[in-house]
Amino acid sequence: MGPLFNASDEWSFVIALVIGIAFGYILESAGFSSSRKLAGVFYGYDFVVLQVFFTAAITAAIGLLFFEYFGWIDLSAIWINRFYTGSAILGGAIMGFGFVIGGFCPGTSACASAIGKIDAMLFLGGFVIGVVIFDAFYPLYEKFYKSGNQGPVKIYESLGMNREVFLLIFVAFAIFAFAATAYIQQKVSQKSKKY
Amino acid sequence: MSDTRIIKKRYIFMAVVFIGLALLLVLLPEKHASKELKPEQLLQAINDDTRYVTTDEVAQKMMYGDAYTTLIDVRSADEYNKYHLKGAVNIPLDSILNKDKNGNYVYEDILNQDIATNIFYSNGTVYANQAWVLLRRMNYKNNYVMKGGLNKWIETEIRPKKPLQTASQKEFELYNFRRAASMFFGGGTISSASAENSAPAPIIKKKSGKKEEEGGC
Repeated sequence: MGPLFNASDEWSFVIALVIGIAFGYILESAGFSSSRKLAGVFYGYDFVVLQVFFTAAITAAIGLLFFEYFGWIDLSAIWINRFYTGSAILGGAIMGFGFVIGGFCPGTSACASAIGKIDAMLFLGGFVIGVVIFDAFYPLYEKFYKSGNQGPVKIYESLGMNREVFLLIFVAFAIFAFAATAYIQQKVSQKSKKY
Repeated sequence: MSDTRIIKKRYIFMAVVFIGLALLLVLLPEKHASKELKPEQLLQAINDDTRYVTTDEVAQKMMYGDAYTTLIDVRSADEYNKYHLKGAVNIPLDSILNKDKNGNYVYEDILNQDIATNIFYSNGTVYANQAWVLLRRMNYKNNYVMKGGLNKWIETEIRPKKPLQTASQKEFELYNFRRAASMFFGGGTISSASAENSAPAPIIKKKSGKKEEEGGC
């Protein structure tokens, strides 16, 4: 990762704390500490989560590319997670189920616990138990966990596309997703009004 | 209802802004500054002497007709025309970073590729080294420097000196190779003529694992 401060610097903890508080504040003000809001994505009555994260993604992507263009950031210095095919698919599915069943993602559960929501505290408890179980039985699935390592692959690279062109298509897709989800949301809320 | 209309307007405005910015990124001219090596990396690369190739190794490559090696003469065109190694390409040091009308480096095709190995030489080592540093900074790979340059080339390949009787078997083998090289490169007739140089018989000092690394064949 391109550190704001030297990684060995104790200041990085302070920075992390500040960024964490800011993140939590934004989650809370966007209404993400409500489990209804998050589960709404799956039932089709509220797509704010998708819209917010999509906006965040394209804002960050455009911002980073401009930063690089002006020479303010060295993108090659940024840490990119390794992509493990097997665990990405299974982990994504588990995360999705946890999302719709619990109504939180790890970040929002911490956020909601902070404002005193009991379901979020239970969710966090389950989260900790899950971590302990994962750790205890790690050797059993270590092989699967690490299977299909494709390295720090980027989508546009694997598609063989130009980075900027891919971003343009991605932005267009995000706007399309915005419009489509707004349409679905409208339909669903109309339907639920009828009954 | 006017509320939703305002929100809709905002969405459309944001959508246009995002698309516009993304489009701008596509249209912006490509920048290559970020490819450059960082100062620390460059310093590390300069201190690492794996870039050197001995004159004997160059001679061997030339005699075997190694198609994957390009010799690059970084001296001026005048000097190049007077004498140059067989098959060498002339890219004078002062024009090595020349750009064409479109702002592309003229010699990039030769200097920045991963098929052939480039070996720079000048009269000594200094200018070839400068060329190498300039290009290494731009993160060009596969470039090497002939240590000692043409002076060393003449000394070792064209006019090899016979080792002393007490010299080791290895030195004699090297001498024989050099004599063969000398004949191959047409220096055989003048070999023993001028041996006023009192420098000790050249011994290969650099036996770095270079050969395995670049053996194209």
